[in-house]
Amino acid sequence: MENSSIIKIEKLIKRFSVGKSEFTALNDLSLTVERGEFLGLVGPSGSGKTTLLNIIGSLDTPSQGKVTVIDQSIASLSHKQSAKLRNRHIGFIFQTYNLLPVYTVYENVEFALLLQKLSSSVRHKSVMDALEWVGLTDKVKSKPSMLSGGECQRVAIARSMVKRPEIVLADEPTANLDSKNSHHILQTMKDLNKELNTTFIFATHDEKVMKYLNRKISLEDGQIVKDEIIQHSKN
Amino acid sequence: MIRFLIKGILRDRSRSLLPVIVVALGVFLTVFMSGFFKGVMTDMIDMNAKFSSGHVKVVTRAYAENADQAPIDLAILGVSDLKNQLQSAYPDMEWVERIRTGGLLDVPDENGETRGQGPAVGTAIDLLSPESGEVKRMGIQNSIVKGRLPEKPGEALISDDFAEKFSVAVGDEVTLFGSTMNGSMMFHTFVVSGTLRFGNSLIDRGAIFMDLQDAQIALDMEDAASEILGYYKHQPYDDIAAQSLTESFNARYSVESDEFSPLMTRLAEDAGMADYLAIAENMVGLMIFIFVIAMSIVLWNTGLLGALRRYSEFGVRLALGEEKKHIYRTTIYEAILIGIIGSFVGTLLGVALSYRLQTHGWDFSELTGNIGMMMPSVFRAQVTPSMFYIGFIPGVIATVLGNALAGFAIYKRKTARLFHELEV
Ligand SMILES: Nc1ncnc2c1ncn2[C@@H]1O[C@H](COP(=O)(O)OP(=O)(O)OP(=O)(O)O)[C@@H](O)[C@H]1O
Ligand SMILES: [Mg+2]
Repeated sequence: MENSSIIKIEKLIKRFSVGKSEFTALNDLSLTVERGEFLGLVGPSGSGKTTLLNIIGSLDTPSQGKVTVIDQSIASLSHKQSAKLRNRHIGFIFQTYNLLPVYTVYENVEFALLLQKLSSSVRHKSVMDALEWVGLTDKVKSKPSMLSGGECQRVAIARSMVKRPEIVLADEPTANLDSKNSHHILQTMKDLNKELNTTFIFATHDEKVMKYLNRKISLEDGQIVKDEIIQHSKN
Repeated sequence: MIRFLIKGILRDRSRSLLPVIVVALGVFLTVFMSGFFKGVMTDMIDMNAKFSSGHVKVVTRAYAENADQAPIDLAILGVSDLKNQLQSAYPDMEWVERIRTGGLLDVPDENGETRGQGPAVGTAIDLLSPESGEVKRMGIQNSIVKGRLPEKPGEALISDDFAEKFSVAVGDEVTLFGSTMNGSMMFHTFVVSGTLRFGNSLIDRGAIFMDLQDAQIALDMEDAASEILGYYKHQPYDDIAAQSLTESFNARYSVESDEFSPLMTRLAEDAGMADYLAIAENMVGLMIFIFVIAMSIVLWNTGLLGALRRYSEFGVRLALGEEKKHIYRTTIYEAILIGIIGSFVGTLLGVALSYRLQTHGWDFSELTGNIGMMMPSVFRAQVTPSMFYIGFIPGVIATVLGNALAGFAIYKRKTARLFHELEV
């Protein structure tokens, strides 16, 4: 088997039309991500972090350049193919959790599996596993409104992980959390990263995130200005 | 997935309650109005059939042209012979003679001087022969307010309103003034055996019901009658059967050049009944149309509001790998579901109220008091089988249309744009 990189971006340009003019959000950006990385995109607001995550997640398409995610070229995917890519291989975590308020914790996590034709017993096992990873097996019947912010984000992590995706894209996952909760969910993700070899990509301002990363890419005005590998002294 | 959506609808009241109420209301009105119109029209037609038009009616050609004047000088001569022929040719129908005439009803005081006087519609039917079905047909027994049915010649019934107005008591005498069949002056005195109220403003204002033979004597109409009415003995009015009946009769008996030859007409031709029937049908169609439009607009807007609130849900579902098309489709499924629930509730209420109005009626006499139309003053709805499904047409179409329009706005947005909005 080809030991290729999981994400490969070459000379990516993303322009948005703003009124009559155009705005370049990503400018000639190239990047390769290997399987199992725990990678952070940092940079000032408006530097293009979210835009880049959206393109990797095939929620948006490149204006120019080539983006390959799990051997699929994002630009050439049909709606159906890109939906399938997200459904099978990519998990998302948002700053605002975005749990569905009318559904229970269990149902929120199960939702991610409904599009795959799995039997309910298989679904049940996967959901319980995912909730166990994040330590919420005792809250299956709770509604999101009854949970703390940290718990909500852990449900969101379980939802993104339940289908065991190869890539998890997390946009400011800790921005709404206090330090204790931030560390808790980062540790959870780090553990999953090690255990399942899932590739995590964060967009973040948060200093607390930095010490968990093993690679940090700094963006400015849609360009990579710094790309550092971080070696952690094991403690 | 469907189960998931149903759960969502049931739990998210703000998403489902308003649309369900809107749909239920529109469906309720559609269903109820259809029952109401059907009931009123049926009563109206039935009443017309019993009182004036029969299921079919035979008059002379000349009479037919001036029917609204009830011209007794154009009555059918040799009527018993014609009636017998009809009875043997069409034995499944009952044939009855009637005389209709206008006149003045005069109430004398003890000295024989006029105490009060008013115009009256005179109707002569077979009141006295024991085999006559006329009393029952016109519901006379049930309409008697005071007194009793005439039991011998010379007795008559008058409308209660008239009797009240001129303080006529049961047993008093009244005189009917008019003209005979030959155009000479006519007056005939009757003993009032009872008073009547039909709940029909036209008849209740001033009417006298007398026996056919009395009228024939008074009006010089030996073996003559204004009209012969035919009623199906064992079935309700059937327009197709009536049409072929009239055609065959007219081909045999009616001669265009002879204005005294008989002419048969059917209920639907009489007094614009066909128009009423058509109106009743169109009304329901029109109502469905109006409610579809009105409800769609309301539901479109509630749908838009709902969709705005569900942006984050749609965004998440996109991120989880649901296709936009699929999300759009599921909102339509939800609409169908809400449409069905709302229609169900609305139908239930509409049928219930119609049923209540079928059994109890709604007295409109104060409002219809001055209408000269043959119209029942107690409105009754009628529960028909179609009521049970008719409401689902506007109910489901409107929700689907409303949601489709609302959803379209989202559908047209690019995935990325939707997602971008999710972030904020
Ligand atoms: N759909 C869009 N249409 C127009 N402009 C857009 C669109 N999406 C993003 N942009 C612009 O592109 C630039 C980069 O946006 P992006 O959201 O990627 O920044 P970011 O690095 O995630 O910022 P933040 O840290 O505030 O989240 C911004 O200037 C933004 O206004
Ligand atoms: Mg961002």
